[in-house]
Amino acid sequence: MKTKPQRSKLWLTLIPLYAITILFVLFPIIYMVVLSFMSRAKVWGIELDVTINNYKKILEPLYLNTFVESFKLAVISTLLVALIGYPFGYFMAKLSAKWKKRMMLLIMLPFWTSALIRLYGWIIVFRSNGTLDKILMGLHITDKPLKLLYSYPAVAVGMIYALLPFMILAVYSSAEKMDWSLVEAATDLGASRFTAFRTVTLKLTMPGLLSGIVLTFVPSMGLFFIADLLGGNKIVLVGSVIQEQLTKGRNLPFAAALSVVLMVLTTLIISIYRKVTHAEDVEGLI
Amino acid sequence: MKKKIALFMTFVLSLSVMTGCGKKSDNKETSSTPAATESENNTSSDATQAPANSTEVTSKELNLFTWDGMFPQEVLDDFTEETGIKIYYSNFDYDEDMLAKLEETQGGDYDLVIADDYILELTIKEGLAQKLDKSQIPNFSNINPVFQGQFYDTNDEYTVPYGAGVPLIVYNPSLVDFEIKSYADLWNDSLKDNVAIIGNYRVINGITLKTLGESFNTEDLNVIQQAGDKLKELAPNIRVINDNNTQDNLISGEVAAAFLYTSQVNQALVANPDLKVVYPTEGLGFGIMASLIPSKAPHADAAHAFLDYLLRPEVSAKCFEYIGYFCTNKAAESYISDEMKERLVLPENIKGGEIIHNISQEAEDLHSKIWNEFRSECN
Repeated sequence: MKTKPQRSKLWLTLIPLYAITILFVLFPIIYMVVLSFMSRAKVWGIELDVTINNYKKILEPLYLNTFVESFKLAVISTLLVALIGYPFGYFMAKLSAKWKKRMMLLIMLPFWTSALIRLYGWIIVFRSNGTLDKILMGLHITDKPLKLLYSYPAVAVGMIYALLPFMILAVYSSAEKMDWSLVEAATDLGASRFTAFRTVTLKLTMPGLLSGIVLTFVPSMGLFFIADLLGGNKIVLVGSVIQEQLTKGRNLPFAAALSVVLMVLTTLIISIYRKVTHAEDVEGLI
Repeated sequence: MKKKIALFMTFVLSLSVMTGCGKKSDNKETSSTPAATESENNTSSDATQAPANSTEVTSKELNLFTWDGMFPQEVLDDFTEETGIKIYYSNFDYDEDMLAKLEETQGGDYDLVIADDYILELTIKEGLAQKLDKSQIPNFSNINPVFQGQFYDTNDEYTVPYGAGVPLIVYNPSLVDFEIKSYADLWNDSLKDNVAIIGNYRVINGITLKTLGESFNTEDLNVIQQAGDKLKELAPNIRVINDNNTQDNLISGEVAAAFLYTSQVNQALVANPDLKVVYPTEGLGFGIMASLIPSKAPHADAAHAFLDYLLRPEVSAKCFEYIGYFCTNKAAESYISDEMKERLVLPENIKGGEIIHNISQEAEDLHSKIWNEFRSECN
């Protein structure tokens, strides 16, 4: 890495970065892994009694099922986000410089408000006699309030809403860098617009799409407050079981074991995904 | 190498998202502390500390540790004005945080703690509380005996109740075509997809046990499992499970009936006085918030004085009207305004209920398992 001799002292400037990473990333992970092999104390806290029972317990159908549910929701959300986010990012890259800036501002603007508060906004839209119900009834499409809130589609909308910006920005950044003259060349050489898109644009923006998928899929495996709020706590995800074990269940070691498995699974899925798609270069993300 | 670091960062991302709401993985770091005021207090307390059994209050400050918003400001200000004792009010979010904090300080730093019954049992068991000197609390006799001698403090040596929560059924008569009288009525077919419940599994599994004529606290795994099977039959009626603002679903008409915490019952009734409250015939479940003095409280004398002040009927009534919990002070009942009385004083014919307390680990685990099975059944 060090190419010039005068840069040899530069590594010193990296010390704070490494120190922070070790202190706040590596240690907590080690702590969590160690904790997952401990046992819960009778009254309060944990006991230093090494066991693998926490992992055995995960094999019960109930807990396996929470992983399946989380995976299902993550796949559904990621697919929908890709379907909506890809065209969005693609067309955004084709806008004039002025409009690109405006669009970027519009995408970033919601981040100034807490994610939780934005979700409560969706509750107001979906709830019975809420905004959506009023519009549908006003247009005489429905005649009585629908039960929209606390349903799977409501959860999917919330997930898409929360994760879409990551996909848009990833696709946009790779579409923006793309050399559009290559597409022109393809059409000049007789390719239809669709063929040109398929063989040139899609291939060149693939890294953006793939990093968007990773950025969407990984958090959606863990996000549970959206399912809790918009799904009325009726979809049991790994995240919510972990939270419950940490609080009311007072079973920290089991919560740690669940977290470790979730982490390993997420890593596995990403690495399989990389193998299958041969995506060695996902916009430098992994 | 670069890729590995990036992968690592992905971990971090997923972790931070995952743990966003459950920031209790390490209690010791998350509980809030009034660091500045605390250390200040500790230095001065060495000079002013009074012997615990002295009836004369010499301390000039009091470190109060409880949830946010537990006292009307007026009550705190009046105490300071009357006694010259300054109150430092610090908060925790969860009972568990409070215990973790007391473990850390070995029962020191704080002079008075208010928390829920089950955690006080653990606090006392861990030796982190001191016996009350009742000669310093003449108003102790004002306490309603219904709320005394409970499991966490059977001889009333350590605690003074500060309010009782009784989860109750509330329903909208215009949306329900029969009269709800019991927990069992929630299973009625006509309430399909129309019930909201709080998200506390010991309470919800508990009322199912009640419909079977069992105790909330049974440790018989077969009985708990039986209740679990019955609970699954409730699933088609459940529209939403939520611990926070559950009453909003009832107010907005999202659901026809709800099983709510006391404070939520009050908020629902304030928003819509036509709603009906049900004291279920199977018997009530109780939760009691109570105060205790940590074992090494630096200003125990001030804490005693404050407890006595809080037990004065007129002060007590102000607190109950403010927090909206059931009144645990018999003498204060007549001071509570008429419109509030109905909601803060238990009906005469109710003799008290059962409190949920800590049970064996196996039973607790089974409850948690049943609960998650029930939740996925609701979907």
